[in-house]
Amino acid sequence: MLDQFLLGLSVVMQPNVLMYAFFGVFLGQLIGVLPGVGAITAISLLLPVTFYLDATTSMILLAGIYYGSQYGGSIASILMNLPGTPSSVVTCLEGYPLAQNNRAGLALFVAAFSSFLGGMVGVSILVLAAIPMTVIALKFGAPEYAMLVILGLLAASMIGTGSQIRSFAMVILGIALGLVGADATTGYYRFVAMPELADGISLVSLAMGLFGVSEVIRNASRRPAANAKPLSVSMRDVIPTRAQARSLAFPIVRGSSIGSFFGALPGTGAAIASFMAYAMERRFSRSPEKFGTGHLPGLAAPESANNAASQTGFIPTLTLGVPGDAVMALIIGALILNGIIPGPRLMVDQPELFWGVIASFFVGNIILLLINIPLIKLWVLLLRIPYQKLYPMIVIMICVGVYSHRTSVTDVLLTLAFGILGYLMKNYRFEPAPVLLGFVLGPLLEDNFRRTMLLYGGDFTVFLTRPISAVLVAFSAFLIVFAIWSSVFDARITKRSTK
Amino acid sequence: MFRKLITALPLAAALALPAVAQEFPDRALRIVHGFGAGGNADTVSRIMAEEMSKTLGQPVVVESRPGAGGTVASGYVSKEDPDGYTMQLMVGGHAVAAALYNSLPYESVDGFTFISTLGQFPFMVAARSGEYDSIGALIEAAKASPGSVKIGHSGVGSTQHLTGELLALRTGAEFLHIPYKGGAAASTALMGGEVDVVIDTGTVIRPQAEAGVYDILAITSGERWPDAPDVPTVSETVADGFDVVSWTGIGMPAGVPDDIADKIRGAVHDALAVPAVSDKIASLGAKPSPSSGEDMTALIEGQVAVWTDVIATAGIEKR
Repeated sequence: MLDQFLLGLSVVMQPNVLMYAFFGVFLGQLIGVLPGVGAITAISLLLPVTFYLDATTSMILLAGIYYGSQYGGSIASILMNLPGTPSSVVTCLEGYPLAQNNRAGLALFVAAFSSFLGGMVGVSILVLAAIPMTVIALKFGAPEYAMLVILGLLAASMIGTGSQIRSFAMVILGIALGLVGADATTGYYRFVAMPELADGISLVSLAMGLFGVSEVIRNASRRPAANAKPLSVSMRDVIPTRAQARSLAFPIVRGSSIGSFFGALPGTGAAIASFMAYAMERRFSRSPEKFGTGHLPGLAAPESANNAASQTGFIPTLTLGVPGDAVMALIIGALILNGIIPGPRLMVDQPELFWGVIASFFVGNIILLLINIPLIKLWVLLLRIPYQKLYPMIVIMICVGVYSHRTSVTDVLLTLAFGILGYLMKNYRFEPAPVLLGFVLGPLLEDNFRRTMLLYGGDFTVFLTRPISAVLVAFSAFLIVFAIWSSVFDARITKRSTK
Repeated sequence: MFRKLITALPLAAALALPAVAQEFPDRALRIVHGFGAGGNADTVSRIMAEEMSKTLGQPVVVESRPGAGGTVASGYVSKEDPDGYTMQLMVGGHAVAAALYNSLPYESVDGFTFISTLGQFPFMVAARSGEYDSIGALIEAAKASPGSVKIGHSGVGSTQHLTGELLALRTGAEFLHIPYKGGAAASTALMGGEVDVVIDTGTVIRPQAEAGVYDILAITSGERWPDAPDVPTVSETVADGFDVVSWTGIGMPAGVPDDIADKIRGAVHDALAVPAVSDKIASLGAKPSPSSGEDMTALIEGQVAVWTDVIATAGIEKR
């Protein structure tokens, strides 16, 4: 294994290949910062460029854009509550409060470093366990996915910072919004008020509206003097203290593990991984009340998770030639156009390409860390721009980004409508994050549940007779029992202490 | 008001003049398509745009307007000016949509000036290696125990799905059709054993077949495919006359003047004659197939008839 990895490193260390790796991650980083412009837009625009490059270099370049964008996504989330990518929605939850408390530098540092560690864990799993992970991923059929999503929804039901009922209501709202579009099982149109909605509401519109636009409206209704306070950007304020660093070790380990697992499952991806990591962190935290106020472990865990997931996401792509999502499909397309057939034989037939690409992830993550740390000071300076100048620009950028996604004016209008909805929700203390979670997980649950029913003739016992599915059901049952037990227990304690 | 008009007049004239004097095209052209950035349609559009901008001497911009199986883009293009600056990259789904939708915001055949097909490609019927000896054995198994053989397809109403339904209709076998989100997901399900058969394009099937994971049981084109001469056709084995070939092609809004349409057609055919372009089209599993506008129209009309029949007989819900 090490020999092959060294072979890969020797490929990446050629100056021109290294240059493309750098270019890829740097571009990805920038794309990630821009709201609404996803890696997929950037990659499809660069596709013709790869006609002039060899397969390995093209893949290193395109892959760099993809995982680089995961780093960049956290920057706008922290500074402006603007998730650059859907997977950095969770980063807003702790990152933005930190920035508002004048700790933007620290938040950016923790995000970059957690991203780096998560990415490295992901790459290590890719090197050491790509084949076993593939075997596990193939064992996940429709029943397993359905039960995994239920487990995820249960685990994440505490994701909001307000009351449980409010958070639950928002998950339901998200699921309801996810129903719009063609039903995947019959093709029947549901709530398709106009043809643009036939494929459903765009996740980008929803995320940009509920987070970015609503924040702009909120700030517009405040007094402009609010941000006149001086900003500290000295390196001492940026680097976490020893105690802070120690408190982040386990969240990063947990986040990376969750991310690595979800990344390897085709069709789930970085966004779900980051939600799960955040939810887990809250579950296991000794001080869950600190979440939502700028709690560092709540920032580190999802950041490491989405980056780990973006690396292990290459497992099905590289080992089976089966793309896990649209970005991977595009990268595979680039390989095909280069005359290389991505499939199970890639590792054997093209060891230089296979290991070169993996080694480039290793190098790319180091490059990203090195360019991110010095840039922190620069990014924080963005906050010195007065709101009245910054926010109109943000709205324009959001509109352009959303439009570029599907060339759809409907999407832009929907984004603005979701912005107003997000503003109203915030005013009545409803959290937007659970809406996103329901929106992402709801259709995945419905799709896999109904596929299970179709495959097994409506037999519910299949969820219990298939081993992996049964284990997931057991976990869910445990979570429910644990929740009931702890609420009863808590109630008793409060009763006693009030006596 | 009047003064404004006076000053605007020469300006308008100056702007209009070169358009009259210069030859088509004198500004950037567009290729619109109805699928996501990075899909097959997007890739083919970008390959063509790159080459056609050289022949036409103007930039060719690719514009993705995804939605509702490509019908959003078709509706958009059919209402654009037929001035020759707006092209649409169409796929076999254009004919499927005509059959599948109750009402469309455009006329599927009369609403367009068809220029040329770009590539034609068959579908492959694949199973896990060693599961079935032949397509005949597969059909026998499906007949022996109706509904027990599961075909995974890339989405309800996709050409892949309808091809599976057509196979059932023509052979009398009964399959359980299981929808997935895209060919890759269906292929993963076949690998994992969730379904028994997948019918999809060569790009999805062949890498797995070459690695020995899948057996290609049959090909859906009427004749054997030059690229895979050893694979028997469905027609010669289990359903005489079976012929499903999907395609990519270029269309424009109805009413494009003949000279402009011919110029675009020339540019398309020139691009397809460039080895780098035809190689790329071939690597995507298609046979480069420059055609006349009449041939493309006939192809689409024929397919609309077939799919209308399949959708009605198989009882697929219209949209």
